[in-house]
Amino acid sequence: MSAFGKNKENPLKYVKIKVAAESHIKIKDKNPCIDKCENKPCTYYCPARVFSWSGEKQAIIVDYSRCIECGACPWGCPYDNIYWEFPPGGYGVHYEI
Amino acid sequence: MGHDRYDVIIVGAGPAGSTAAKICADNNLSVALIEKGKFPGSKNMFGGSIFRPSLEEIIPDYLETAPLERKVIREVLYFMETDSVVEMGFTSFKFAQPPYNTFTVIRSRFDRWLAGIAEKAGAHLMNSTLVEDLLYEQSGPLAGKKVVGVILEDGQKIYSDIVILAEGAMADLTRKAGLRKKNSTDLFTLYVKELIALPEEVINARFNLEKDEGMNIGMVGYPTAGAIGKGGIWVNKDTISIIVGAYLNQLIKNGLNPYQLLCRLKEHPSIKRLIEGGITVQYMSKIIPKGGYDNIPELFDDGVLVAGDAAMLVSGRHGTDAAMLSGKYAAETAVQAKARGDFSKKALSAYEGKINNSFFYQNLKINRKAADYYKKYPDTDYLISKTLNEITFEFFKEGSQTRDEKIEMILEKLKQIQPPVKTIKDFYNAALNWRFY
Repeated sequence: MSAFGKNKENPLKYVKIKVAAESHIKIKDKNPCIDKCENKPCTYYCPARVFSWSGEKQAIIVDYSRCIECGACPWGCPYDNIYWEFPPGGYGVHYEI
Repeated sequence: MGHDRYDVIIVGAGPAGSTAAKICADNNLSVALIEKGKFPGSKNMFGGSIFRPSLEEIIPDYLETAPLERKVIREVLYFMETDSVVEMGFTSFKFAQPPYNTFTVIRSRFDRWLAGIAEKAGAHLMNSTLVEDLLYEQSGPLAGKKVVGVILEDGQKIYSDIVILAEGAMADLTRKAGLRKKNSTDLFTLYVKELIALPEEVINARFNLEKDEGMNIGMVGYPTAGAIGKGGIWVNKDTISIIVGAYLNQLIKNGLNPYQLLCRLKEHPSIKRLIEGGITVQYMSKIIPKGGYDNIPELFDDGVLVAGDAAMLVSGRHGTDAAMLSGKYAAETAVQAKARGDFSKKALSAYEGKINNSFFYQNLKINRKAADYYKKYPDTDYLISKTLNEITFEFFKEGSQTRDEKIEMILEKLKQIQPPVKTIKDFYNAALNWRFY
């Protein structure tokens, strides 16, 4: 899940993230992901691959520790089913250069 | 430690917030400038470049201290296909001389610098602090409506006469206050960026630049694989910013991952040679609010003003300067309100007048139709790029045809791509809008 595409490179190795104790991203209701959402676009438009589908758990798995706070996920979910807020002050992504 | 009461609280120390903070502080207002990141700019991203006129208007002596990377002397547009590029560009050596034109900039440095200026003017910068919600008046005729401060994530309350929301594209507080509607997927573009380090001399030689001279390449066609969007390169001192992005709804519809688009762009033969041997030092991503004229939120209410990306003021390439100028107008409005002791919605409506008179607002108005055109014909850029590359290829390809045969063949190619009338319309619209949409 860490690699993107064919070249297997993980761009998150260039990103500094101070991970907070609790997730700042939640799937509001697991049902639309199972019943309604065919393509599960969050699993591909997220530029940090925070979201993945687990067939076993029948749920979107959210790895909030990867989030680089682009802000796309709540707007991109076709069922308005992603709750996203900023991590606590001083946490999350940190660009020094 | 800060106080629990200020004249003005500004949420977000980006270009809009820090500009507002500086101007309020210059006018002897007490200012709290609240930033969620460890320092201003530490969560911010753009292409990008800063435009001189607005920067100079706000910080007249910016040249002495601003962390500018290079002076942009060349603007190039690439119409890209898989194995060819039609280039259009302009170089002016006047832009390398005062008063200059635009500068490449790295946001973590620029935003930190601008916030530092606000601090020097007297604003109280609070880093690593997230604002949870706005505070409303509990009694009086405006009970529950007038904004009287903010609540921090730890529950602490800070009061002020006015709150300026310069919180960025997500605009959580602006939405909570009912000033901005829930926005749809097609109002945002999503961009990813890599910062690639290369020695300064290598960059100069590769891009045909002298010391301190910079350039910008805009790219359409190939980079976004059919979605409406752009690729871009900005040449910094010893790094290159490379970005790609598109409308979020189109990325989703076309099943595209923006990082994969970036990897694909980096492999294009005309790009690969520009970044060869470089070391990636940063990966970042951000949405840009592109709602345009029809989606500008309510810009003010009792005790509150909205500025910058939270106010959806991005117009084409103008985002950061629109943010800084809106911050300036918000500050001026706050200063006037303080002088009169009136912070009502009516008193703050002067802000809207200032915004409406600005060039970026006027441009948003003018570009209303362009946005519609691109919505109706999302493949316009792709078709223009394809058409230009195919006819240019035929034009330069040597064969043994007569001149008339060659023209005939080029016209035939044009017809194959789409009806010629549509091609003419696409070019006409692109010419009208390419710098602005």
